[in-house]
Amino acid sequence: MDTRRVVLIVAALSLPLSAPVAAQGPVALQGGAPGTARAAAPYDVTGYWVSEVTEKWRYRMVVPDKGDYVQVPLNPEGRKVANAWDPTRDQASGEACKSYGAAALLQVPGRLHISWQDDSTLRVDTDSGTQTRRFRFALPQGQGAPSESRDGGSASPNETPSWQGHSVATWGGGEPRDRRDGQGGPVQDATGRLVVAPAQRKETDYLKVSTTRMRPGYLQKNGVPYSGDALLEEYFDTFSDPYTHNTWLVVTTVVTDPRYLIEPLIMHAHFKKIPDASGWDPTPCRADEPR
Amino acid sequence: MRFTILLLLVFLLPNRPASGQVDLAGEWSPRVYNTHMDIGDYTGIPLNDAGRLRAEAWHPDQLDLPENLCRPHPIDIGLRVSVSQLRITNELDNETRRPVGLRLKVAWQEPEQVIYLDGRPHPSAHAPHRWSGFSTGRWERNTLVYTTTHLKEAYLTRTGVPKSPKATVTTRVHRYGNLLTIVFIINDPAYMTAPYIRESSWIADPNQVIPPFPCEITPDGTIVPAGKVPSFLPGKNDVLNEFATEYGIPLEAALGGEETLYPEYIKKMKTMKVAPRTTTEHFRRAQ
Repeated sequence: MDTRRVVLIVAALSLPLSAPVAAQGPVALQGGAPGTARAAAPYDVTGYWVSEVTEKWRYRMVVPDKGDYVQVPLNPEGRKVANAWDPTRDQASGEACKSYGAAALLQVPGRLHISWQDDSTLRVDTDSGTQTRRFRFALPQGQGAPSESRDGGSASPNETPSWQGHSVATWGGGEPRDRRDGQGGPVQDATGRLVVAPAQRKETDYLKVSTTRMRPGYLQKNGVPYSGDALLEEYFDTFSDPYTHNTWLVVTTVVTDPRYLIEPLIMHAHFKKIPDASGWDPTPCRADEPR
Repeated sequence: MRFTILLLLVFLLPNRPASGQVDLAGEWSPRVYNTHMDIGDYTGIPLNDAGRLRAEAWHPDQLDLPENLCRPHPIDIGLRVSVSQLRITNELDNETRRPVGLRLKVAWQEPEQVIYLDGRPHPSAHAPHRWSGFSTGRWERNTLVYTTTHLKEAYLTRTGVPKSPKATVTTRVHRYGNLLTIVFIINDPAYMTAPYIRESSWIADPNQVIPPFPCEITPDGTIVPAGKVPSFLPGKNDVLNEFATEYGIPLEAALGGEETLYPEYIKKMKTMKVAPRTTTEHFRRAQ
């Protein structure tokens, strides 16, 4: 066997191993114009999803008692507000949606419908509380009004706070490879500047959403507060489990609120993908119900 | 010939399965919020009847038996139910010093788990089961995914919900900057009707020190009378309903099951009997 043939055989054998899942680029799962967030989606997050409540069940499937904030790093001011919770007052004063705000919405048991509103905006509708969130990605170069921000539309200081706030989305994970990963790092270009070549970047593989300009709301149904100064950061990931082959959406939520929390609160929620809208059960905001 | 070698290297170099896509090594400080601290709190667990029967037989005094005093949790449980400071290091082959995977170490009882990423197979089904089990993994994009088999029988909670030695655990580790999220997918056909999925997070903490965990076993009979194994016989657990009563939850809901995990169950609970509450401040015991 000549050398050339050996090389070809080795190369052929290597190909499947050399193309791990991690090396697959963004897949055009959603269509969308080239260069848009929709076209760059590394996975399909759209569709119908239902909560599976295995975490903090007694805080989510029933309304917990007033003062039960054992798992929340509240500061004294936060405790004071939580201890003054009055669901009847909230309902009567039109504040029943306080526990359906962006920071808590995905903790509320229910169904989600995620869809692309346009090539740069993911829309999340919930049946619990009948709420809508919009995750805005950066617009491609040359699109949008000249005054429009390119970073997904940062919230204007004059923007009126809302229950769902202003959400900016990015496909995360595509940071430069780290030398510690054994993958090299930035390289020098012709002028000697350190630049990150495409080959030195990791593949994007999760959705990060940062939300500000929220109306003050509740982290739990029992009046555990977050303030209008809170920053909400969420990380969305999907996978198929090897046992049932169901598709799952896992959301890691980090709430930073210097007014009421002594450190960021981290919460999790996961959702099972379902084929359609069956079971969709829209409810109004209710201050004294779990959903 | 030099060209041939070069070409071979080009094709073979990407086949380094033990090399990480993301650097997970380091010290990680837990942001784990314990639940299931009460006897009779099986909420959110897709238990089947056999699992529930075993759980109901568990007595808290079992923790004081000599064989249980220094009994470690398997690491998948240790990461959830104890003071789970976490250290991740790269695991090197003793002879060649080539990376073969990652090693996880947890503070409480200091269990360790090696996750092999070099493509080695799992041992025979007849191989001994250990607290750490046997784990092999791979990278899916930037997520470390590994499967653990050969685990000893253990608990899912600190209040006696069992996990059988038939269980396997698939774990997904994802680093979001300085945040590490681990998703556990526990499949136990003996005691559950569906995989049990739960998540926890850690924060990078380079200065974290994991203290040693010395543990001493007291002689048999010191705490619990020698030869006695505390337990509840079926139907005789007289504290089983306390959690449900004190939190105002229907007993049936508190005892878990797959149906209880979904939003529709909230409506169903409204039709169930709830025992008169004895307190509304039960939670303060945990503060």
